Amino acid sequence: MQVSNKNKDHRSILVLAVVCGVLQLALAPNIGLGNGRANLALVFSACVALTVGGKKSVLAGFFAGLFFDLSTTGPIGLMSLLLCVSSYLMGLQGRNRITGDLGLTMGAFTIHSLGVSLAYHVAMLLVGEAGGLFDVVVLRTLPTALLTVVAFIPFAIWLTRAQPSGPNLGGGRGRSSHGSHFNMRGL
Amino acid sequence: MSLSGGGRGASAPSLRNKNQNTGGGLLAVLVIVSVVLFTVSVRGGETGVLGTVRSGFQTITSPVRYVGAAVASPFQGLANIFTNLTADQATLSELQAENNDLQTRNAELEEAEQTATRLQGLLDLKDTYNLQSTAAHVISGSTDSWTSTVTIDKGTSSGIAIGMPVTATSGVIGQVIGCSATTSTVRLVSDESSSISAMIQTSRAQGMLTGSATGQLTLTLISTSQTVEVGDIVVTSGLGGVFPKGLPLGKVTSVENNPGSLYLDIVVEPFAAYGSYEEVLVITSLTEGQQASSDDIAAADAQDTSSTTAASTSDVSSSTGSSSSTTDGTTTTTTE
Repeated sequence: MQVSNKNKDHRSILVLAVVCGVLQLALAPNIGLGNGRANLALVFSACVALTVGGKKSVLAGFFAGLFFDLSTTGPIGLMSLLLCVSSYLMGLQGRNRITGDLGLTMGAFTIHSLGVSLAYHVAMLLVGEAGGLFDVVVLRTLPTALLTVVAFIPFAIWLTRAQPSGPNLGGGRGRSSHGSHFNMRGL
Repeated sequence: MSLSGGGRGASAPSLRNKNQNTGGGLLAVLVIVSVVLFTVSVRGGETGVLGTVRSGFQTITSPVRYVGAAVASPFQGLANIFTNLTADQATLSELQAENNDLQTRNAELEEAEQTATRLQGLLDLKDTYNLQSTAAHVISGSTDSWTSTVTIDKGTSSGIAIGMPVTATSGVIGQVIGCSATTSTVRLVSDESSSISAMIQTSRAQGMLTGSATGQLTLTLISTSQTVEVGDIVVTSGLGGVFPKGLPLGKVTSVENNPGSLYLDIVVEPFAAYGSYEEVLVITSLTEGQQASSDDIAAADAQDTSSTTAASTSDVSSSTGSSSSTTDGTTTTTTE
């Protein structure tokens, strides 16, 4: 019989949200590479999407994006839109794959990080906030994606260690051979 | 729900996956909401409702930002390195040139500030002691190895005359011993032939401050019956009418009372060490209040008399000779 502890899920997501929120406000503005800054909102939404998926990941993406939008000077709603879509896609493809394989986790996240960063900055270019395509791609998109991927590394390591093994979201007894769903005990 | 505790058996995850809602409907709703927010935000700008919301959000979260900035400030230089890596060569060259200019300018301003501070000190000294004086620059040191002198850029054309005392902000530095039309030579207090009437500021014990070949200052003619402590301030006594009374000379660094000696061996560290001054004041005349009063002269005579009496009583001088000092402040004679 499988018992789901929803309160523990919510508490875990909340703790992750607070950690990423504080890092987004306190750390991201002070660590720059060129004009790029790490996007901890994307990190948070990816963590939820790659481990939980479903509606919760879409909601997490939306609110994380909204948090990002409110903390910057860009248009409100843009990052929330992008993180909604990104979380949905990551949730679809990663929910049953992120099982202790750090390489897969990082690969999936890097693709989404590049996509979100490029889409965000192209949108900024379209609304007149960015100077040109070179500025958008070289000076903003790539550094932002790189820093975001770097910021995701400790979370990815932590997530993959929190999932003991197996091709599925494993955990519990006999998980190495049979698999079971994911357990974020570290949270 | 995948964040929850683990289940047993192989079938559980697959059942859950089939039942898992992927959130497509919710995505559609939130996408619409986001687009609406984006449109309102772009149209309304910072003055709209969303701008107000953002303002409130940033106010609430500002403490976290301050904490982050405080924590990150020690590492800001490291971040700047990465930022500088992306700057083009022209920008770096321009910044380098600007930095060089600013460093030169900064050095000039620091020099000007120090000069202003020293000149202000001279003005303060002039006001404090009500000195009739002329300011001058030290333009060179001693030209020979036998005397301790400096040359200043004022001479007879500026009213300077031989014998005038010279002081810096920190204390007396010497006396004019030679004048030309535009320059003057000042014998420093550390010179071997220098001798100035001085007294201990606290006990008012009076003596002569003399220089030496080694540059050490010695306060002589203070009898062993006087109280002198290490750290006592030595000032001019005004006896002789050359130096104004009360100008700082130095600080007592050691006091020795040798058995059988009439006088204490007192070593004084000058306040105005050579090299510590660039601007000086030449005191051109003394007012009546700056000279030693008749009481001061009487006190000096009394001190001298008591020393002589003590010497006679202890019969110390019978075999070694006698010591005498005048109150003109310029000469001391010891006869074997």
